[in-house]
Amino acid sequence: MAEAALEIVDVSAGYAGRIVLDAIKLSARKGELTAIVGPNGHGKSTLLKAISGLVPVTSGEIRLAGSRIDRLRPDQIVERGVIQVPQGDLLFPAMTVHENLLMGAYANAGGLAERLDFVFALLPKLKERRNQTAGTLSGGERRMCGIGRGLMAGGEVLMLDEPSLGLAPIVIEQIYEVIFNLRREGRTILLVEENAERIAEHADMIHLLDNGRIAWSGLGAELMARPEIVETYLGV
Amino acid sequence: MDVLIQIVASGLTLGAMYAVATIGLSLVYGSLNMLNMAHGAILTLGGYICYAAIVHAGLHPALALLAAALVCALVGLLIYFSAALPLLRAENFETNIFIATIGIGSVIENLMLKGFGPYPIPQPLAVGGQVVIGNVHVPLQNVFILGVAIVLMVAVAILLQRTSTGRAIRATSMNREAAQLMGVRVGRVYAQVLALSGALAAVSGIMISSIATLTPVMGGDPMLKAFIVCVVAGLGNVYGAVIAAIALGLLEAATQYVLGVRWSFATLLLLVILVLIWRPYGLFGKQQVVRL
Repeated sequence: MAEAALEIVDVSAGYAGRIVLDAIKLSARKGELTAIVGPNGHGKSTLLKAISGLVPVTSGEIRLAGSRIDRLRPDQIVERGVIQVPQGDLLFPAMTVHENLLMGAYANAGGLAERLDFVFALLPKLKERRNQTAGTLSGGERRMCGIGRGLMAGGEVLMLDEPSLGLAPIVIEQIYEVIFNLRREGRTILLVEENAERIAEHADMIHLLDNGRIAWSGLGAELMARPEIVETYLGV
Repeated sequence: MDVLIQIVASGLTLGAMYAVATIGLSLVYGSLNMLNMAHGAILTLGGYICYAAIVHAGLHPALALLAAALVCALVGLLIYFSAALPLLRAENFETNIFIATIGIGSVIENLMLKGFGPYPIPQPLAVGGQVVIGNVHVPLQNVFILGVAIVLMVAVAILLQRTSTGRAIRATSMNREAAQLMGVRVGRVYAQVLALSGALAAVSGIMISSIATLTPVMGGDPMLKAFIVCVVAGLGNVYGAVIAAIALGLLEAATQYVLGVRWSFATLLLLVILVLIWRPYGLFGKQQVVRL
């Protein structure tokens, strides 16, 4: 079994005194795809924000390769190699695609040309659109740009928050093809997704988040073999 | 034709001064959502520092300009650390910082009053002579102001477009959270923006005092006009602010010639009202959605 790249140990977090995450314990192992599934509004995005330092951790520890990162600022967490592609992309709309990608490498500018080549090879549409402002891209292209920007950072762990949200089925397929390719290349990925079916086959480990707690953990095939869980929590 | 040349020469000088005064104000609003009401006082301070550096310290005018920019940049940093940083952590930042910077501006103004007295002083950094275009004599000082403003605007554009620091400033103004997720230390960006704004205000103050005179309250009028430019362009839109500043400078010069000086400010205010009715978010601004 691969060693843990990112460990979340009994983490509680929330906003303005309201606890959203309650003693979460999970880990993302090196070179694996770890998925977090669950209904909307039950803390999946908050968990990624807590890991990125955007939401304060009230108790517990978050460790990257054994070192605590839960007391660090967001920029320090990015420098350590924990990169998040947030929900809805959060691109810089008045910047070109190229500038957005350069922003991805802001904290780690070494090997910029190679990383740009890698991103353009993986997402050729971005090369075509490199001089177009991000605000004028289609939904799917925006999502690709968000993923490309995340990849520009290099990093140890890539966290993706619902990359399929609001996209047409054919675009979702393209996006997931890119993500599964990254997994095959050995990237450590922590993926938040509402639709468990979509990732069950490819995820090395799935955690079901319900009401801010881990309700179930296991392999994708195991989850799909438990129709009562899927029906109750995921509404599939 | 001569009238047109006269209006364009005066209008471009006014517009260039407004543009330099506005860029800093606009950058600060774009990045921090902060209306810096001390901007006018910092602008005046720049004029006085330049005066003191030349007259009392005997510095070369170029060094005096640099000294003024440096001191005002430090004042910008001081505003960040003493007021903006503590208030950013509390609720109602925009209102609180608005009131806090009115206080800071008042303190700076009173210190200048104490230090330099209430009477007008001529700014020693001035270029003599004139150029003749057609039958119009344009003071070289106006050409100098235009030249300095163009150099500054190009420098700011290069900083914002071509450097990693500039991209971080733009990214922070577009989406603070996304910038943080890219590894941008937004606190540092805020400090840089306030320092840059202070330095630009200093240069603007030197320009304005070089064609008028230095008084402790001279910053009020240019700051008001810089706000008008910001509102017409759309708050926080730096490039729109430069275009709006030049256009308003030309309009002011034309109004002064056609209707008289007393009508120029009223015309600017009328224009603001019309723009706000037509496009409440400014000519180059984006419509903002307020979620309740």
